[in-house]
Amino acid sequence: MPTITIDGEKYQVDGDQNLLSSCLTLGLNIPYFCWHPEMGSVGACRQCAMIEYKDSEDQSGRLIMSCMTPIRDGGIYSVNAEMAKEFRGGIIEDLMTNHPHDCPVCEEGGECHLQDMTEMSGHTMRRYRGSKRTHRNQYLGPFINHEMNRCITCYRCVRFYNEYAGGNDLQALGRNHQIYFGRQEEGRLENGFSGNLVEVCPTGVFTDKTFSAHFVRKWDLQTAPSICEHCAVGCNTAPGARESSNNLDPILRRITNLYHHDINGYFLCDRGRFGYEYVNSATRIDKVLSVRDEDLIGSTADNKDILHKEINPQDAVLNLSVQITAAQRQLRRIIGIGSPRSSLENNFALRQLVGADHFYSGLNYLDQEVLQLVNSLQSDDRILSPSTPEIETSDAVLIIGEDIYNTAPRIALAVRQAARNRQKQAAQSLKIPLWQDASVRQLEEEHSPIIFIGTALSNLDDIADATLFESPQKTALFTHALAQEISGYKAPNLKMPPHLQEMVKRTAAILLKAGKPLIISGTSGKHPGTLQAVAELSRALSDDKKTPTKLYLACSEANSLGLTQLFNGTEGNLQQLVQTLTDQRSANIPTSLIILENDLYRRLDKHSVEKLFSLVDEVILLDTLLTPTAKRANCIFPASATAESQGTFVNNNGLAQRFYAVYEGKGFIQESWRWLVDAVDFCTETCENLSVLKEWKHSTDISDAIAREFRVLRVLDELGPDENFRIDGLRIARQSSRYSGRTAIHAQEHVSETPPINDPDAPMSFSMEGIHNPNKTQLQANIWSPGWNSNQSIFKFQEQVGGERKGGPSGKMIERPRHPIPDWTNTLEKSPQPPNSMQMLPIYRLFGSEELSNQSMAISELIEAPFVLINPKEMTQHGVNEGELVDIETSSGIYRTEIRRCNTTPEGCIGVPYGLPGLETLAALMPGYATLRPAATHSIAGVEN
Amino acid sequence: MLTNPLTKNITGKNIAADIASYLANDGYAGWRKALTMEPNNIVTLVKDGGLRGRGGAGFNTGLKWSFVPHGEDAPKQKFIVCNADEMEPGTFKDRLLMERDPHLLLEGMAIAAYAIGASIGYIFIRGEYHLAAERLELAINEAKSQGLLGNNILDSGFSLDIFIHRSAGNYICGEETALLNALEGRRAIPRAKPPFPQVSGLWGKPTVVNNVETFCNIPHLVALGVDWYRGLGLEQDAGSKIFGVSGKVKNPGTWELPMGTPIREIIEQHAGGMRDGLRLKGFLPGGGSTDFLGPDHLDLPMDYDVIGKAGSRMGTGTIIVLDDKTCPVGLVLNLSQFFARESCGWCTPCRDGLPWIVKVLQRIEDGEGLPEDLDLLREQCQRIGPGKTFCALAPGAAEPLQSALKLFEQDFIDHITNRCCPYK
Repeated sequence: MPTITIDGEKYQVDGDQNLLSSCLTLGLNIPYFCWHPEMGSVGACRQCAMIEYKDSEDQSGRLIMSCMTPIRDGGIYSVNAEMAKEFRGGIIEDLMTNHPHDCPVCEEGGECHLQDMTEMSGHTMRRYRGSKRTHRNQYLGPFINHEMNRCITCYRCVRFYNEYAGGNDLQALGRNHQIYFGRQEEGRLENGFSGNLVEVCPTGVFTDKTFSAHFVRKWDLQTAPSICEHCAVGCNTAPGARESSNNLDPILRRITNLYHHDINGYFLCDRGRFGYEYVNSATRIDKVLSVRDEDLIGSTADNKDILHKEINPQDAVLNLSVQITAAQRQLRRIIGIGSPRSSLENNFALRQLVGADHFYSGLNYLDQEVLQLVNSLQSDDRILSPSTPEIETSDAVLIIGEDIYNTAPRIALAVRQAARNRQKQAAQSLKIPLWQDASVRQLEEEHSPIIFIGTALSNLDDIADATLFESPQKTALFTHALAQEISGYKAPNLKMPPHLQEMVKRTAAILLKAGKPLIISGTSGKHPGTLQAVAELSRALSDDKKTPTKLYLACSEANSLGLTQLFNGTEGNLQQLVQTLTDQRSANIPTSLIILENDLYRRLDKHSVEKLFSLVDEVILLDTLLTPTAKRANCIFPASATAESQGTFVNNNGLAQRFYAVYEGKGFIQESWRWLVDAVDFCTETCENLSVLKEWKHSTDISDAIAREFRVLRVLDELGPDENFRIDGLRIARQSSRYSGRTAIHAQEHVSETPPINDPDAPMSFSMEGIHNPNKTQLQANIWSPGWNSNQSIFKFQEQVGGERKGGPSGKMIERPRHPIPDWTNTLEKSPQPPNSMQMLPIYRLFGSEELSNQSMAISELIEAPFVLINPKEMTQHGVNEGELVDIETSSGIYRTEIRRCNTTPEGCIGVPYGLPGLETLAALMPGYATLRPAATHSIAGVEN
Repeated sequence: MLTNPLTKNITGKNIAADIASYLANDGYAGWRKALTMEPNNIVTLVKDGGLRGRGGAGFNTGLKWSFVPHGEDAPKQKFIVCNADEMEPGTFKDRLLMERDPHLLLEGMAIAAYAIGASIGYIFIRGEYHLAAERLELAINEAKSQGLLGNNILDSGFSLDIFIHRSAGNYICGEETALLNALEGRRAIPRAKPPFPQVSGLWGKPTVVNNVETFCNIPHLVALGVDWYRGLGLEQDAGSKIFGVSGKVKNPGTWELPMGTPIREIIEQHAGGMRDGLRLKGFLPGGGSTDFLGPDHLDLPMDYDVIGKAGSRMGTGTIIVLDDKTCPVGLVLNLSQFFARESCGWCTPCRDGLPWIVKVLQRIEDGEGLPEDLDLLREQCQRIGPGKTFCALAPGAAEPLQSALKLFEQDFIDHITNRCCPYK
C-alpha cells in the first residue's frame, strides 16, 4: 500500500482511490460537492482543494483538486495549509452568492450537505452585495419537490439521473450562472430511480414530496434498520417515524437508503422509497374487526360484501382461543395459510399453531413450483447468486424472461452499470483510474453486450444490444438451444425460426468469450420450462468455464425464498388445500381458516377462492390492508407492517436479513405472531406444540426456534444481537440526541413526558436514551456524524469509502444443502392451447404490480388504468382498435378493459399487467388462456362474473 | 522567396480564390507532395518546422499530431477537426482566411488528415460566419470535383470527406474538448484530460483539433520545406502570422507579417499609429484574454516566449489598443461581462466567480465602489487563476483584469474616491 504524508502525518492508503476518498477514509474532513462515492470524480465544484508538494524541500506547493488526484506513493499533501483553506473558503463563498439562505423553511435543513460544507469551509460572513439569480420551479410529479433557487450547480442530479440511471427527462439547461436543472417541460420524472435525487442533491433542490406532507426534521425522526418489502431484492432502508401534535401515535414519514455494500449500495428504486405510504393509507387495518350485522359502526364493505365492525380485541382473541381449544379436543380443525410477504417469524408461528400438516404456503401450485425451482438452482455448486457489485462488474449479461426494471428494479440499475464495462476496460488500458468518471465516460461508447429474450423489457432497451420478444415457450426453447450450443451438443429437432437460431449462435459466442458472464432470470414469467432451461444453460456455461455461473434469479415477494424453505416441493400449495378440504368434506368437522397477511384472490382463481371459503366455517385474517380477502373474513386482526415490527426476510440471493421495528404501530396493531401467541395464552388446555408458543416473548425467540427446527435456516439465530445486547450497559437509541419537543408536542393534553415503550424484541430504545453513534453494530440506522448531518456521512460508517459497513454486513446466507440440479431434459412442453384463445402473459409495472405499494398515495397517482397489450397484427385480426374496450373472457369471469397496441407482444398472446388495480384477480390465472372479443358498444370497463 | 504564404491569394476584393486561381498559384502542391510521403514523415516535418498552434496556446503542431496512435492496434476511424469558432474578443484573422482563400484551409486539413490517418474532417465554424461557411462549402465541392477530396484522392487510395458544422454560438467551443462535445451534440463543456483528444476525441476516436490559421500554415510548410519556413520568422518562432490591431488607431486591420515582428512596427507602421490626440496607454497583445502590456513593451517582438516573459501571452496575435481617453475599468468590465456570459457553467470559480467580478466592476464604474473592492477583485483573480479552474477560460478572463489592476490601479482608485467614472 502506498504511504503518503498529509499535514506531517504519515498514512498508508489504498492506491486505487483518489486523494479525496482516501482522506475521507482516513477520517479527515474535506468538503466536497460534485464527487460522489458511487459516481466518481468530475472536478466541477473545486471545493475539495488541497495542496500537493513536489518533495520535502517544496515549501509553497501547488493547489490541486483532491478528487481529481491519484495517490502518489510518497506524496506529500496538506489539507490545512493556508492557501488551501483560503481557496476552499472562496469557493464556498462563490457557491453561496446565489443561494437563498432559506434554511428555516427548507426541508433539507438539518441534513443538508451544503450547510455542513459551508460550516466546514468556514464561510460565515457574506461579502457579496449583488442580487441573486432566481429560477422558476417545475412540477416534477408526486414524488419530488423542485426548488431551483437553492441550486449550487454541482451537476450531481443529471449525472445520477441521466448517466447513472439512464433517465432522459432531466437536463442541465442554459449556461453560465443561469444553469437550470429541470425538464424540458413540467411533468413527472419518468425514471424509476428519481427518488435518489433527494439524497444525491447536496441541498434542497430536490426533496421528498411525500415527506413534505408530514415533514419533520431529520433529528426528530426515530429510525431503525429495515428491509424493503416491495420486492425480493432485499434493499436496506432507514424508515423514519414520529408522532405529531394531533396524533399521539407515531406515523411513518419517509424512507431513506441505508447503505448495504452487497445489495443496494447508495440507491433505492422509487417503489421502495415511496411505497411506504401504504401503512398510513385509508385501507390500513388498525382495529380488530368482526362480522356482526347489528350495531354497525364502520363499514369496510362495498355493496354486497360482508360488513365488519370494530370489536374489543380481547373478545376476538378469546374467540380465536376457543377455536384453538376446540381443535385441541379434535372438535375443530384449524388450517393455516402462510404468506411470502410476511416474515419467517410470523409464518413459523402460524405453522407452530396449526401444525405442519395443516400449514399451507399461501401460494398456488405454479408459484410454488417456480420458487422451488429457484431454490434448487441456487442449491447447485455450479451456480452462484451474485451480489450487486458482482452484477456491476459482469462483462456480458443475458436476461431471460424477466423484466427486472419492474420486478427487481435495483438489479436493473446494477445491470446498467455492467453495460459500461467495455468502457471501463478501455479506461484501464489507457491507465485512467475508474473513479475519473468524466474521463471514463468520454471513451468509446460501445456497451458491454446485454441480451434480452422474453415477453417485455423496460428501461434497459437503450443499452441492450439485442432484444427478442418471444412467448415463454419460445424463450425456454431458445435457452435450451443455447445450452446445447454451449455444451457443443447439436440438437437434432429443435424447431426454431432462423432469426432465433442465429441469435443462439451469437449469444453463445458472447457468453463463451466473456470473462464474467451473468445470466438473469426469475419467477415472474411463471414458466417452469424457462427456469429449467436456465438451469441447463447455467450448468453448460459452468462446465465450459470451470467456474460457477453467475445467475441472478428474481422472485416476486420480499420473503418468497424464506417461505419456500418451510415447504418440501410443491406440498402445501393452495390447490392442494382446496382439494384436501373437498375430499374431507364428509368428515363434517368444523374448520377454521387462519390466513396470514395474504390476499387469496391474487393467488387462486375466483371460483377456487369461493370454494375454499365455502368449505370452512370461520375465516380469521391477520393483515395490514383491507384486501378483497379481508372482506370475506369473519374476524380481522390488525397486523404490523414491516416498519412496525421485527422479523426476517430471505432475499433473492438467499440472504436472510433481519428488520427491526422503527416504531410501534398505532391502535391495536401488533405483529401477527403476537396475536397468535395471545390467543394461545387464553387457551385453557395446551399440548406441546402450543406450549412452545406460550414461551415466546421476543421476536428472537421465534428466530431461534426456526433455526433449531430448520437446518437450512439455522443462521436465523445469528442475524443480530438479541434484545439483551447492550453497549456500555445501554441500548441503542432510535431517536437522535437532538430529538425535540418531547414534552411540548402533546402539551394540549399533558405536559409530562410519557415513559417510552419498551422494546421486547431488539436492544434498541424507542427514545433518545441509549447509545447514539455506536458504529460497532448494524443496528445503527441514523446515519449522522458530527459535522456531517446529511446521508453523506455514511462514509463514517464504512470500513473505507464505498466499502463494507463497520460492524460487518447485515444478513447471513441461508445454508441450503448442496444438490446438483436434477436433469430436466425433455420438459419443453407442447402447450395445449384451446382453439381461438390467447395466452395471457403477465407483464409487470414498477407502479401497479406490487400489492402493498399500490396503496401508497403518491404511487397510486402513477398507476395506469386497466389495459391489456396486443400486437398490431392480432389487433386487426380481432377487429379491435387502440384504446377500445375489449372483453377478456376467462375462467374467473369477463374483464372488460382497454386494449393497447404493443409491437413486442408475442403472437397469440395478450400482455396483462400483473396485479394492476382492477385486474388483480387475473394474476392467479396467468399464464393461462382467455378469449378476446370487442366489447359491446356503450359498455363500460369492469368485471362480470 | 515567398514571404506571404497565408495571404498570397488574397486580394483587395471581397471574393474567395476559386479552385482555378488557387491551382494556378501552386495550389494543392503541398497536398500532392504530401500524398507521396509517409504520414510519419509529415508529422516529423511539421514538428521540425516549429509551427506553433495559432489558436492561442502556441503548442507545437507536429508534436500534437505525434500523440495520435498509429499502427495495427490503433482505431481505424480517426478525425481531423478545424476549430473555426473564432470568438476571441478583438480577433478576426480566421474569418479573413476562410472567406478569401478557403482552399488553403482545405489543403492544410487534407495534409493533416493524411498525416494522422483521418478519413473524416469537420470544420466547426462560428455561427455568424455565414459567408465563410458558404465559401467553404463551395470550395469543398470544387475540390471534390477535382478529385482533391473525397474517395481515393488522386488515386492514392486515401479518402477524406470534410463537413462543415456551424456552431450554435458559444465562446467555450474554442476550447477543443468543449468543441468536440458540441460537435457530438452534447453540452459544450470542456472534457477531462486525460484522455487527450489525440487518443480519445470525437465519439471516443483519435482526433486532432487545430485552428484555421494553423492548418493554413501546413501546405506551404510541406511544399517548401522546413528551412524556408523557419527562415520566415525574424526571431525564435518560425513562419509568418496574421497579426491584427483594433482600438483607436488610424488604420485598424490585419496583416500577414513574419513571426517576431516588433509590436511597435505593427501598431505604428501597419495600423498607422494612434488617432490624432490620443496616446497609447496599454494594449492586449493577443486578444481579450491576455494581460495588458504598457508602452514600455512596444519594442518587443511578437514571439510566443518573448511575450510570455513580459507577463502576457501572444494568444491570437491580434492586438487591442487602449488609449488614454478610454476608461480601463469600463474596458475590463466589458470583457468580464463577455467572459461571465460565455462561461459554460461547469466549474464554480468561473461560473459564480465571474458574475461576482462583473458586479464589483460595474459598481466601481458606476461610482459605487468601496475601497475594499480592489482587494476583493485581486482575490477573485487569484481564485480563477491557472490550475484552479477546470479549463483555461477563467484564467484567461482574469488576465486583462489582474493586469489592469496593476497597470491602471490609479484609475480604479479614482473611480472609487471620485464616486464616478472620470472618463465620462
